[in-house]
Amino acid sequence: MIITVNGEETNWEGAKVTINDLLSHHKVEKPEMVSVQINGTFVDKKDYGTKIVVAADEVDFLYFMGGGQAS
Amino acid sequence: MKGFSSQAIHCAALKKDAHGALRMPLYENVAFEFEDARAIQFAFEGRSLGHSYTRISNPTVEDLEQRIRLLTGSLGVVAVSSGMAAIAEIVLVLAEAGANIISTKYLFGNTYSLFEHTLKPWGLEVNYLDLAQPQKLEKAINEKTRAIFLESITNPQLQVVDIEKVVKIAAVAHVPVILDGTVTTPYLFRSKDFGVAVEVLSSTKYISGGAATVGGLIIDNGNQDWSRCPRLAKAAQKYGPHALLAQLRRETHRNLGSCMTPHNAFMQSLGLETLALRFERSCENALVLARFLASRREVKAVNYPGLEASPDHALAKNQFGGKFGGILTFTLQDREHCYKLMDKLAMIRRATNIGDNKTLILHPASTIFCEYGEEEKKALGVPANMLRLSVGIEDPDDIIDDLKQGLEAL
Repeated sequence: MIITVNGEETNWEGAKVTINDLLSHHKVEKPEMVSVQINGTFVDKKDYGTKIVVAADEVDFLYFMGGGQAS
Repeated sequence: MKGFSSQAIHCAALKKDAHGALRMPLYENVAFEFEDARAIQFAFEGRSLGHSYTRISNPTVEDLEQRIRLLTGSLGVVAVSSGMAAIAEIVLVLAEAGANIISTKYLFGNTYSLFEHTLKPWGLEVNYLDLAQPQKLEKAINEKTRAIFLESITNPQLQVVDIEKVVKIAAVAHVPVILDGTVTTPYLFRSKDFGVAVEVLSSTKYISGGAATVGGLIIDNGNQDWSRCPRLAKAAQKYGPHALLAQLRRETHRNLGSCMTPHNAFMQSLGLETLALRFERSCENALVLARFLASRREVKAVNYPGLEASPDHALAKNQFGGKFGGILTFTLQDREHCYKLMDKLAMIRRATNIGDNKTLILHPASTIFCEYGEEEKKALGVPANMLRLSVGIEDPDDIIDDLKQGLEAL
């Protein structure tokens, strides 16, 4: 299925994909400092392992430069 | 590693230094270079962990922010150019024209001026209450209330209010409590544990370490549902609990340009490492001086929450862990006596600041509050016969000797 991660289309071959899978796959730097959005809506960190990303979803990893950390 | 000083000293940098520097270097630069066009796009969009422009963020400033975040257990921190910038930014990010904030009636003079003379003409309403009676809040809060503002120990009135009670009432209406913790610092008062939504403070004072640099901090404790704040509702949908930090970093803080300089951040990170040592001494000295002044016939009254006779003593002891800060005020017969004492002092300096290593004396009514009439000064709790001492870290006997010779000359 095709999903868009940080503005780039990605072809994901697995049956399902979670936020944790994507963070790992994209080797996200300092994942504890990243905030995740799916289709422009915030995803709570506690849901990273269960929230399923589906085809055509747009996923964004956003950083808060300075003194911020994902809760 | 649980101790305040250990954490302040050993907080790890976010990135390993290229040369293994033991202290975060001073990145005294404006711009940052990128490998390719996509990389700079990602930095602007916040999609990569990189700085683009020092007005928005900088590695040395970020290092101070991370240290404060760790020490306060907060969600995030924005370092700004001064304590006043911190207050201005937080009010501007939360409120809009036609909205209101509720503020303690006893305030630092420049904060009162910011509310009355700078923000009111833009349509902000400010409702001043005596928060020593927090039940008054219940009636004062309405659907347009965007924040409740108070100081941990008011300057220079030295009033202490029950912060937990204020927070409890505010929480029912989902209104954030903004606390100016300058006088207590995160060393005496961990605002997150008392439910405060945002702490602002002037890091110029105790944190800077010797009053060499100006700075301010906005600390988001991460316990407020920002979706309830109309100005942040959209950001809350996108950024969840980070809505305030995102709105500051990506709009208000960026657009106002009130950034902390990298040099000041470097100096203040250094100051932070000795905050506990210096502040302990300042608190000890203040109590010794308060007791000395209370014993003098020339002194009409001493106001220091550390004195058992203070009406706020029990509350302050509970909230601030048995320490009471480094500021005290006392009254003499009249303004002329205040001036005469100030002019007789040999070691204590005549200057406006708090948290310096030096003990400083000031006549608040004729300085910080000089722009207000007599009635306004009375309402603000600043009488003409009051002096403020910001107690430094000198040897206490020397401070006492100086005051003693000054009082004897009256």
